Amino acid sequence: MTGETTRTAGGTGRSAANGTPDVTVIGAGVNGLTAAALLAKAGRRVLVLERREAIGGLAASEEFHPGYRTAGVLHDTTGFREGVADALALARYGLVRHPEPLPVWAATAPGSGILLHHDPGRAAAVLGAQSEADAAAYRRYRGFLNEVAPVVRRVLDAPPPDPVRMTGRGAWPLLGTALAFRRLGRKTLMEILRVAPMCVADWMNEHFETEAIKVALALPAVAPTFAGPWSPGTAANLLLHECAAAGSVQGGPAAVVRALEAAARAHGVVIRTGAAVEAIEVSGGAVTGVRLAGGEVVGTTTVAASCDPRHTFLDLVPSREIPYRLEHGVRHVRGEGLAAAVHLAVRGPVAFPGADGEPVALARIGTTLDGMERTFDPVKYGQLPETLTLDAYVPTVEDPSLAPEGCNVISVLAYFVPYDLHAGWNEAARAAVGDRVVAALAGALPDLTGRIEARQVLAPPDLETRYGAVRGHLFHGDHALDQLLFRPVAECAQYRTPVAGLVLCGSGSHPGGGVTGAPGALGAKAILG
Amino acid sequence: MATTYDAVIVGGGHNGLVSAAYLAKAGRKVLVLEQRHVLGGAATSEELHPGFTFSVFSYVVSLFRPHIIRELELARHGLEIIPLEASFLPLPDGDSLCRWADPHLTRQEIARFNPRDAEVYPEFGLAMRKMAHFVKSIIDQPAPDIGSLKPRDLAQLLRLGKHFQSLDPELMHIHLKMLTMSAVDFLDQWFESGVLKAPMSVSGIIGTFLGVRSPGTAYVLLHHYMGEIDGAFRAWGFSKGGTGGLSFAIADAARALGAEIRTEARVERIRVKNGKTTGVVLAGGEEIAARAVLSSVDPRLTFLGMVGEEHLDPEFTTAIRRYKLRGSSGKVNLALDAFPEFTCRPGNGPHMRGDIAIAPGIDYLERAYDQAKYGAFSERPYLNIVIPSLVDPTVAPPGKHVLSAFVQYAPYNLATGPESWPEHREAFGEAVIDTIQEYCPRIRDLILYKQVLTPWDIEQQVGLSEGNIFQGELSLEQLLFLRPAPGWGRYRTPVDGLWMCGSGAHPGGGIMGAPGELAAKALLRSRSI
Repeated sequence: MTGETTRTAGGTGRSAANGTPDVTVIGAGVNGLTAAALLAKAGRRVLVLERREAIGGLAASEEFHPGYRTAGVLHDTTGFREGVADALALARYGLVRHPEPLPVWAATAPGSGILLHHDPGRAAAVLGAQSEADAAAYRRYRGFLNEVAPVVRRVLDAPPPDPVRMTGRGAWPLLGTALAFRRLGRKTLMEILRVAPMCVADWMNEHFETEAIKVALALPAVAPTFAGPWSPGTAANLLLHECAAAGSVQGGPAAVVRALEAAARAHGVVIRTGAAVEAIEVSGGAVTGVRLAGGEVVGTTTVAASCDPRHTFLDLVPSREIPYRLEHGVRHVRGEGLAAAVHLAVRGPVAFPGADGEPVALARIGTTLDGMERTFDPVKYGQLPETLTLDAYVPTVEDPSLAPEGCNVISVLAYFVPYDLHAGWNEAARAAVGDRVVAALAGALPDLTGRIEARQVLAPPDLETRYGAVRGHLFHGDHALDQLLFRPVAECAQYRTPVAGLVLCGSGSHPGGGVTGAPGALGAKAILG
Repeated sequence: MATTYDAVIVGGGHNGLVSAAYLAKAGRKVLVLEQRHVLGGAATSEELHPGFTFSVFSYVVSLFRPHIIRELELARHGLEIIPLEASFLPLPDGDSLCRWADPHLTRQEIARFNPRDAEVYPEFGLAMRKMAHFVKSIIDQPAPDIGSLKPRDLAQLLRLGKHFQSLDPELMHIHLKMLTMSAVDFLDQWFESGVLKAPMSVSGIIGTFLGVRSPGTAYVLLHHYMGEIDGAFRAWGFSKGGTGGLSFAIADAARALGAEIRTEARVERIRVKNGKTTGVVLAGGEEIAARAVLSSVDPRLTFLGMVGEEHLDPEFTTAIRRYKLRGSSGKVNLALDAFPEFTCRPGNGPHMRGDIAIAPGIDYLERAYDQAKYGAFSERPYLNIVIPSLVDPTVAPPGKHVLSAFVQYAPYNLATGPESWPEHREAFGEAVIDTIQEYCPRIRDLILYKQVLTPWDIEQQVGLSEGNIFQGELSLEQLLFLRPAPGWGRYRTPVDGLWMCGSGAHPGGGIMGAPGELAAKALLRSRSI
């Protein structure tokens, strides 16, 4: 992908007046592109500045070995908002969704596993073979989620309430939401309030018997936060994740990026790659422009920042321009990545056992909830656990063009890998992560090891340097109960910031990270008013 | 014809006795039934070794509601609280930190480790006290009923909302976040020094099977500050003659008001007929008729042990089965031949006349938790030690001492099963004494008598299921209107005439007396007796 230039003289100096964008978006990830496309669709002149050469951020398709491409570091597209897809008519730009989330293969024992379908009817046959009780429990579990999902989504897709004005007029939307929850009935309301603060291990144990099912279902609860399955509050993450889930996007995160990029360009968005923003220029409390690496200044009065808020406030905005409390709050946002991304180039097929010939694009490999917790314990002390829990994605199942004929790509998010490895990150440490990932995969795919042509290991600090994910955190800050809703901090939880013209539109804002487009859309909405 | 009581109270712990006193004060005919030979439940004193009186289980009084002391005139019935003078943290490197009642001295101490923290400390205390005011309003009234649309319940919610609004916006926000944060994450926002944060964070985990890094532990820190705002009484204190002194004073008050109290009368069954209770049956077969039964024992024992599933609907039974008890602490009581010198700060000065925390660092505490998660006691546990004989000469012969060590973690559910605790008791006691010995090298030579209480022993001796000292984890999903079961937070139960009045009811455990008082008042208001 090549960089496209705006009508500027290049080098230093301000852009020509007629080239001055109404809104400058920092970052061409899913949220940046979503915000840009929606703003352009509403008639704004929009410029997107992307530091990297590739468009898509953590969802970008990238070549990691000659002939082998990924479909993004992130895997999960179930959270991509249908509202965003509809508003931008992404179907017209090639977005295709499966009717429901893709099934997840779960390792039950070395060399065996089951394919867990989202729909309880389809899952029943497979689950029933393991445990009749689990088949029934899964039906109940999905039943509860289906019941509460519409109301939870209402919270996820609306701007958060104003945290300091919860009486008077500020209270009305809050009251509306409260009533919507109340309409679910007393029993269901109580159940939501009971489940949310729980740890996901307890919630899973209340339902299921088979450990593999618990582990496979629980992984999204711990992925976005510094927590193991026994940490309280992780059930809320799973609840939110499940309630937001719709059909997976065919082709994975990269397909979302392709459609968004096409839509954005069709609406007139200009995207510049290789354009790293070094500073947001502020004068008299208002944005006047952004300065790029190399010194070029792009004049603009509105900046939509899709990058991590810690980067925005602590690196880009001059510190004299932000109130101390905001700075203090942002500094204390918790968010330290616990996942390494490992991409494998594999010769020959990738056939997970026990899937009855069905294609397996997603696989989760762990042992038990306790085993998963044990893989979390060492990271608290800056150590690498002996075994890792894997969230694996085989993008070539849906898009064989990502690898040479007959070959495959396996992209793994491996948990838990500390950002701050006390022994220090070096090639040996990266190799250890790679080895542990391959060892875990080989438990499911015994003949894999000899067929790995190449592997790329991105430890949390690598994810920081490559993708600008501050402290390697893929979600721009932990999804923890105290960091949801009023995200990243109370002073700018509603996307606007104390700096006039600076608006947040990335994963660091409500409703958080992942391939969703939701904060991008809500940030754009805040700009459009 | 046998008498029919207005109310029979199951369990003669401090809450049961408080309920009895309030009901008797209102002119009702009341009988308290206690299975042991001594009153007080886990708030009791016993002479375990000639001349040495121990607060066998709970050892300090902090949250006991001051208005109960006034209304029941407990001082007249012998209650005397001796304030703790300090909070002492010996460190393995020979240093120590002592926090005194005098803020100036405390600042000086903290400044030795971190001058900035010393400056922030008073500010922190002020913020906490302001927020504690709000918590006080929650624990001094029945839990709000969030699902109810009755005007009375809505008015209560509105009052709480208004009260909350009276906090300044910043505190309001801190308060909201604090609900779900971990103690360490919360303290990280204020302080830098681990030496200070570790002993502060432990108030978030005492009696709870969570670590200092587990979300949800921050809120409990507020309880620490509640005693301080109650005016007449200092935050933490010893009851003269041991913790039993408090229970015995309540019992005296209850008797003076006309209540009958029987010891060695174990309730075996709560009689239920057509969904209504008619009284209780004692071990041995004696039947006692009552219009109302108040249970101060934990919810599991009450419903699954004494009522029986056959009288409950399956949904309620499921809720009670899910109710988490998970005892996680034990106790070691020692009779000592002489004063135990601590190397880092010798002498029996005021630093020893408070509580002594063995909590040298956050990682130490977290590792103790990590071990316990998988069903083993911590080899190096967190200890909270008190030597009440230094301030209360009535509990030990002159020159001799009683030392009580609260120990965490000791999980009830050992990997080898709870019933294997007796085989591990000795090793557990040794781990505790080894830990003390690191700071007090002579300890072993001084021991005249030793009592080691595992959670299994606590269950066997006082009946607390799984040895949980709070009759159920104080985690968010088990508080307020969710305690002990969703929608049953108002002391009533699905069995007509049966009420909960112990720590398993709102506002939960600790020597507060609040559940006992609130339950009695709710019963009186119901006009059913």
